[in-house]
Amino acid sequence: MQATEAVKLLLGIGEPLVGRLLTYDALGMRFREVRLRRDPNCPLCGSTPKITDLSIHRTGGDACSATPNGHPATAAAPAPARAGG
Amino acid sequence: MKTLREMLAEARQVVPEEGPGDLQRRLKSDTPPVVIDVRDPDEYRDGHIEAATNISRGFLEFRIGGAVSDPSTPVVLYCQTGLRSVLAAKQLKELGYQNVINLGGGYQKWAQSGLPVVKDVAMTPDQIQRYSRHYLLPQVGEKGQRKLLRSRVLLIGAGGLGSPTALYLAAAGVGTLGLMDGDVVDITNLQRQVLHTTADIGKPKVESGTRTLKALNPDVNVIPLPTRITVDNVMDVIKDYDLIVDGSDNFETRYLVNDACYLAGKTNVHGSIFQFEGMATVFAPNEGPCYRCLYPSPPPAGLVPS
Repeated sequence: MQATEAVKLLLGIGEPLVGRLLTYDALGMRFREVRLRRDPNCPLCGSTPKITDLSIHRTGGDACSATPNGHPATAAAPAPARAGG
Repeated sequence: MKTLREMLAEARQVVPEEGPGDLQRRLKSDTPPVVIDVRDPDEYRDGHIEAATNISRGFLEFRIGGAVSDPSTPVVLYCQTGLRSVLAAKQLKELGYQNVINLGGGYQKWAQSGLPVVKDVAMTPDQIQRYSRHYLLPQVGEKGQRKLLRSRVLLIGAGGLGSPTALYLAAAGVGTLGLMDGDVVDITNLQRQVLHTTADIGKPKVESGTRTLKALNPDVNVIPLPTRITVDNVMDVIKDYDLIVDGSDNFETRYLVNDACYLAGKTNVHGSIFQFEGMATVFAPNEGPCYRCLYPSPPPAGLVPS
């Protein structure tokens, strides 16, 4: 799926998965699409960004959770899948 | 008998002319025109405007229907200096195309203005055979294949997600593939990491990956990066690539790659898996959400394995 998306993006064809999360359940052979929204409070790409460089990744602290108020994930998003591949 | 000068003057009376800046603006708008390069194929190959399709002047009336079906579509023609194209544009108007514009000064003026151009290397007969199935797809064609051959994609991780992606991108003819992974091949990888073989156990993944990819498609320039991505190298590494494919295997790296791609304006094709479920999305800076919009914080330690 990643390869197909990459080719579509390079060629500028079709509808890439920007703003959409495609999930695939191999056991049930089902695909599901979840709409994704930009979070206006996102510390990176929101309207008042708190992350403007990579220094947070150097501090040795929790670079993953950057929101001081730790607001929950958007309701539409499923639980994070295993990061690995 | 008419002189050439008179013919050009007559053409200029009926064909509007715009400059390179105007064309660039049109191309960036919501309704970009069809751009036709009416020079000969060898001139086109040596350098052309990326958006342009090449229909040399001799074939224009015969092939224009395939390129532009609606006669009201805006069409911009160009040649080297704007002379062949103004005569060609007058022909198109006589065919019934209502909205034909000549690029004043031609490709020469466009290039001298510092606007972006692309050059192609001639496709070899082997390449034409190899990518023949792409030529059959209307959305790809020879033009698309050339674009893939000029493209540069970085794969972060040559493991379970990176393996099939690398194979398919190499097969498709993506001209440069960066393969970044600091690990060595382990026997437990071989159940899914199809880029590597039994003979590669113990070797760096980027070494076996490079060999496999080059064997599949020698057109691909594989750049092995036998190192983990870190805060110190990420911005330097990603800057040379058009697209990033994140197949990393831990949350720290995913957040780092996400942040770096956003800050550098690079699109990030994200994939992840857990047991029998997979997910994929594309993070395009300022067009859609980023990884942090989706997951402001990682799951509690131990709940989801890295």
